[in-house]
Amino acid sequence: MNAHALSRHSPDSAHPVPPDGARAAVAVHGLVKRYPGVQALDGVDLSLAAGEVRALLGKNGAGKSTLVKILSGAVRPDAGRIHIGGRQVELPSPAVAREQGIATVHQELSLVPELSVAENILLGRWRAAGTRGGLINPAALVRYASRFLDDLRLELDPRAKVGELSVAEQQMVEIARALSYGGKVLILDEPTSSLPAAEVDTLLVLVRRLAETGLAVIYVSHRMDEIPRVADSITVLRDGSHVATRPVGDVTTAEIVEMMTGRTASPSRGPKRKASERVVLSVSGLSSGDRVRDVSFDLRQGEILGIVGLLGSGRTELFRCLYGLSRRESGSVELDGQPLRPRTPRQAIDAGLGFAPEDRKKEGLALGMGVSVNVTLSSPRRISVAGLLSRRKEQRVAEATRSRLAIKTPALRTAVGTLSGGNQQKVVLGKCLNARARVLLLNEPTRGVDVEAKEHIYALLRDLADEGSGIVVVSSEIEELFLVCDRLLVLNSGRVVLDRETGETDLPAVMAAAMEGSAR
Amino acid sequence: MTGTTVSDRYSPGEGTESRLRRVTGVAGRPTMEHLGLLGVLAVVFVLLSLTAPNFLSAENLLDVARQISFTGLIAFGMTLVIIAGEIDISVGSAIAFGSALFGVLAVDRGWPLWLAAVAVCALGALIGVGAGLLRALLNVPSFIVTLALFSALSGLALLMTDSIPIPVTDAGFAALGNDSVLGVPIPALIMIVVFAAFWLLANRTTFGRSVYAIGGNAEAANLSGISVARVRAVLFGTTGLLAALSSLLQTSQLGSGNPTIGIGVEFAVITAVIVGGASLYGGRGSMVGTLLGVVLIGILNNGMVLLGVNSYSQNVANGAIVLLAVLVSVARPSTRRTRRRAVIAPAPGS
Ligand SMILES: Nc1ncnc2c1ncn2[C@@H]1O[C@H](COP(=O)(O)OP(=O)(O)OP(=O)(O)O)[C@@H](O)[C@H]1O
Ligand SMILES: [Mg+2]
Repeated sequence: MNAHALSRHSPDSAHPVPPDGARAAVAVHGLVKRYPGVQALDGVDLSLAAGEVRALLGKNGAGKSTLVKILSGAVRPDAGRIHIGGRQVELPSPAVAREQGIATVHQELSLVPELSVAENILLGRWRAAGTRGGLINPAALVRYASRFLDDLRLELDPRAKVGELSVAEQQMVEIARALSYGGKVLILDEPTSSLPAAEVDTLLVLVRRLAETGLAVIYVSHRMDEIPRVADSITVLRDGSHVATRPVGDVTTAEIVEMMTGRTASPSRGPKRKASERVVLSVSGLSSGDRVRDVSFDLRQGEILGIVGLLGSGRTELFRCLYGLSRRESGSVELDGQPLRPRTPRQAIDAGLGFAPEDRKKEGLALGMGVSVNVTLSSPRRISVAGLLSRRKEQRVAEATRSRLAIKTPALRTAVGTLSGGNQQKVVLGKCLNARARVLLLNEPTRGVDVEAKEHIYALLRDLADEGSGIVVVSSEIEELFLVCDRLLVLNSGRVVLDRETGETDLPAVMAAAMEGSAR
Repeated sequence: MTGTTVSDRYSPGEGTESRLRRVTGVAGRPTMEHLGLLGVLAVVFVLLSLTAPNFLSAENLLDVARQISFTGLIAFGMTLVIIAGEIDISVGSAIAFGSALFGVLAVDRGWPLWLAAVAVCALGALIGVGAGLLRALLNVPSFIVTLALFSALSGLALLMTDSIPIPVTDAGFAALGNDSVLGVPIPALIMIVVFAAFWLLANRTTFGRSVYAIGGNAEAANLSGISVARVRAVLFGTTGLLAALSSLLQTSQLGSGNPTIGIGVEFAVITAVIVGGASLYGGRGSMVGTLLGVVLIGILNNGMVLLGVNSYSQNVANGAIVLLAVLVSVARPSTRRTRRRAVIAPAPGS
């Protein structure tokens, strides 16, 4: 069925899609993968030509990463065939997949920060650069790496320490390394989800250029705005099944969302709400190191405040400082009129502050533990009587969290590490909500979350605000802040440079304020 | 800069993911692993009954029960320590220290026995808490802190007593380690009580939950409001207290405050915990597993003695058991998984 859809569209597509799997750079047929309680992939077909950038879209848990993992050799399918360059192949391990020409860049980078760009590119393959007998020849490494970087037209210093590069540059090193095995297919799983807005373009340009050299690219993303800019065609998965494959010019974003969710998209901007005059969080003259400088703002009850800032503008540092994770040098904070000066997260939580950190794997979740354990981690008192756990209470809280946030999980005892990225994010939010904070500090609450779930989270934030919480949201997706926030605060080099009602400003003004005078 | 400092963004790697292989034993219900261990225990028991002379006699089995209690006691505290991703290698020396201290206080100083016993327990717990605080506040790896204690405590024990055992002659006290109630040796009864208390602690309290969470992801636990430093301090306090308790029982059994007992107990304890299915990476382990581990190792060693295996060979066998236990826990899930190690496999029992 897939092949028909493809051939129908090929004549008017800028990058002709092959009529059958035989000529495709990579093709999969009838891929099936089951996990306990989930059909992650249910007979998926996909094929793409050399030089084609295919966006792989779908809701959280649709099976995108599973497909990517199968192609990269990390997971073996239960059934189905894989063809590369017309030949059927088995991909039992990542090493084999790499040899077969599949270069994968996973969402978490796997570079060694202390080593140089050249060393990272050649990590574990010293022989390629003429190393013999275990003695590394740094000059040879650099020569090899710079030849390779030049081929990709990447302007990176092979001697630079990876830890000192920007995130986008690190991603380029990662891509260079993946391609250095001679890949013909490049797979990028949510490459921009952790990129600061200003660096996204660099990546999109690189992807287009690589495609022009004849590379087939599979591009997974939840950011609709970048799809038309980078992709030639899209494939939508839903519940592990293939829904449609289309040239990107043929579909509108609304249609894509409809294909992903199976229903028409609803308008997203909520009705204008009126926040009360009561100030719940009052920050004045807060300073911490050179990241937070003399920051002052008031958050009113029922208000959603968005914080915009480039990477390094002090957004996260501001949160950490409010939450008691980093030292406050000067300034004062009041929560509900009470001075707030937490020294530990526990004190912050007890005072009524909730914090959702941005790195869910590292700071947010105990990955090996169940959903119910994780969502109740911050609220031991709600699930216990005199220090003794109550299974019934825990079950009730966890069940309520699951349905309120629509967390997709086979069971409440399932280890969170096995959930899809977006659902893990919901677990972090759930934990934060269960602690019943009056003021929520949310750092990138929708990272890796699909469009529908984003809507869901926005609606949830509005509900919470209507119930009287004050909410501060940091997000790299500035557009989404316009959808959900009542007021925006722009940070630049640790200072507040703009503080406006959302209706009184616009995207260009906010971007300009955020980028003004920035070093890069 | 946002929190995405450069190093934040590197994947925690295969280690973390492969630990997702199963849902942690928090649920407290019998898992496949426990059943497997129980099966092994049953087989060993039957084999020894058939081959080892006298193994099945009530007298021998009760003696085994008494012997395993001394290490078994500590194993339950050690299980929590290991679940939290820590290790305590000072418990053997702590036993020697406790025993020596008891001798000095009760005999040389003439303190009432109960007071000496309370002092030994209190000091044991305090030293443990101190080690835990060092670990937590200065961020010194627990291996290092307890290595220092391991050395210092055994040195202190020898110093205090001039390395000569101090006889403790009190019939009431001797009963503690030697007598039985309703046919069950008192140390074994105490071990059962300790097991029950720790089972409750691990499975039914917010404290136990915090321990699992810290072992699973200490950073996330801290940000979630769990007081990681306090939990760590308490954990090392419990192993210190249990080692002191064990030292009292052994002092009673031997009839002397002895600065040279307890050698190698830390390894016996850790062995039992590992055989019981706990992961040295933290986040995983259970009291039932540890109990089974303690019993299994206990009867194996007893059986080897009865079969006339010499003690050096017994050590080799114990080493083999540890390796085997680890191999089994690493290998078992892979039969149901793809070859790749980084793959997250289904959680058994979910
Ligand atoms: N190792 C695993 N064990 C059990 N279930 C798994 C495992 N890996 C994935 N799943 C399940 O398979 C389904 C598909 O997951 P996948 O990661 O492919 O989704 P996704 O499309 O990448 O979602 P997201 O956009 O949230 O990243 C999910 O329901 C997930 O819970
Ligand atoms: Mg994914």
